[in-house]
Amino acid sequence: MSPLLISLKVACWVTVLILPPGVLLGLLLARGGFRGKSLIETAATLPLVLPPTAVGYLLLRLLGRYGPLGEPSLGFDLDLLFTWKGAVLASGVMALPLVVRTARVAFEEVDPRLEGMARTLGLGRVRTFVEVTLPLARRGLLAAAILGFSRALGEFGATVIVAGSIPGRTQTLALAIFNDMQIGHDDEAMALVAVTVALAFAAVFTVEILLRKRPDLA
Amino acid sequence: MTAWLLVDINLPLDRFTLSVKWETSGPALGIFGPSGAGKTSILESIAGLRRGARGTIRVGGETWLDSARGIVRPPEARGVGYVPQDALLFPHRDVLANILSGSRRARRSGAPRIDPERVLEVLELRDLRHRHVSGLSGGESRRVALGRALCSGPALLLLDEPLGSLDLPLKRRILPYLLRIRKEFAVPTIYVSHEATEVTVLCREVLVLEAGREAARGRPEEVFIDKAIFPMARAGGFENILTGRVVEASRSVATVELEPGTRLTVAAQGQSVGQDVIVAARAEDLILAVHPPTGLSAQNILAGEIREIRQPEGGDGGIGEDGGAGQVVVVVRVGRLGVPLLATVTAQACRQLALAPGGRVHLVCKANSLHVLATR
Repeated sequence: MSPLLISLKVACWVTVLILPPGVLLGLLLARGGFRGKSLIETAATLPLVLPPTAVGYLLLRLLGRYGPLGEPSLGFDLDLLFTWKGAVLASGVMALPLVVRTARVAFEEVDPRLEGMARTLGLGRVRTFVEVTLPLARRGLLAAAILGFSRALGEFGATVIVAGSIPGRTQTLALAIFNDMQIGHDDEAMALVAVTVALAFAAVFTVEILLRKRPDLA
Repeated sequence: MTAWLLVDINLPLDRFTLSVKWETSGPALGIFGPSGAGKTSILESIAGLRRGARGTIRVGGETWLDSARGIVRPPEARGVGYVPQDALLFPHRDVLANILSGSRRARRSGAPRIDPERVLEVLELRDLRHRHVSGLSGGESRRVALGRALCSGPALLLLDEPLGSLDLPLKRRILPYLLRIRKEFAVPTIYVSHEATEVTVLCREVLVLEAGREAARGRPEEVFIDKAIFPMARAGGFENILTGRVVEASRSVATVELEPGTRLTVAAQGQSVGQDVIVAARAEDLILAVHPPTGLSAQNILAGEIREIRQPEGGDGGIGEDGGAGQVVVVVRVGRLGVPLLATVTAQACRQLALAPGGRVHLVCKANSLHVLATR
């Protein structure tokens, strides 16, 4: 598989897998008033500020033969290390903070009084969330998904440690660029860079449009 | 009729603890008071949107709050049609979808069915049904919010300043809608307002709230002329509110009969004979004459007897910010009219005319300074 396809596959899986927990965490942080909120907030932000290699190394130790999630401890093999699934895990962890933060802002911009109004009209908590909160936050949530996708697309440090850089299997765009550069394939590296720039531009541009303030969706 | 509404709550607010106890069987209740008196907090507590209220709220035999027994019904199980001051329409839905937001509850509530089509018609929203709510004017938004509340099968309507922050012409346009709703759909309603005129027109019972406590309670036309309450009611200009029926109408004027034998001439505003109307006369616009005046262009001269003279209060007085200090309020009983009329004059005029309780006077008023509101 080409690096582009591997990257897209990994980024798509990351988006699908981290969106539900990311949105839930974002909602919790936006609406919940509970003890330990700051702690969760900080923990959810950590991957954003830690060196990606540190996160990758932690994952490696967790999943490694003698880690708590290794085969001997679990009794079965998760088979994540040095597979594309490992790349999904690594870049997923790295992308989660971005999704949580963006989702949180999206929910914070929904006027809680509108939710209260929906409740007085007979809509329960769940219906209110589905019929009022989600539609009003949808642009921010879509932006969160795209940002998560883009972050996964560009992940390098954690991925290389957890998934390695196996051509055709785990070598994503970011890894392939580094590889081509190392072995002096400058033209190939440049071509891959061009592809990533195009993808990233499209993604960020879409987010900009989505998050642009529209007066009718205050 | 037994009381269908019981509100007995204590709610700590920033500056004071709101504490009201109120039981009623009347269909239209007003809560009147200056801003910051806790009016909106009462509505939010009844709607279930504000936590922290202790006490009891019972509506139509159902207990919505009983903190002693640990009962707190969530807002979705209460059945209120809440119209907040800022309408709070759902920005992601068009007018019709907003109005139908609570229709699922309406179908299941067993409340008397209110047809959304009829609501659109009464509120004159039919042409707006597919408009996006962001493009609506202030008055249109209020009507949509009213319609949404009505179509949710409410056991109780809560209207927070339904006319607040609208300019006068718009107020005069929305008020008839409120009267129409009351007539047409007959849902028990609590109106919150800081304008005495609105409360008098819309309610048969009013609770005056001052810093979280009941300052007075009773029929609006009696409560607002009470010595203690009048200074609050006159902020922004006190209006005498009279009800009557149009008995004659021409191109330029209409004649309204208030009581057999007591008639007012008002400037024609499209009234037709037989219409029930409300006539508002500002206390500042009424002129007093001790002798029967002649040769006047003013169309209305009503003979009456001075019941009371209120001299301006010194010091604080609590008189409205409209420069009301120094004005004498003369309370006049006219004919068999159920309500006394209030006229304000300067202290100097009061001295010159030697006005005194028991004295005969004539109230003079131009047809043009009477405002007429159709109630049907």
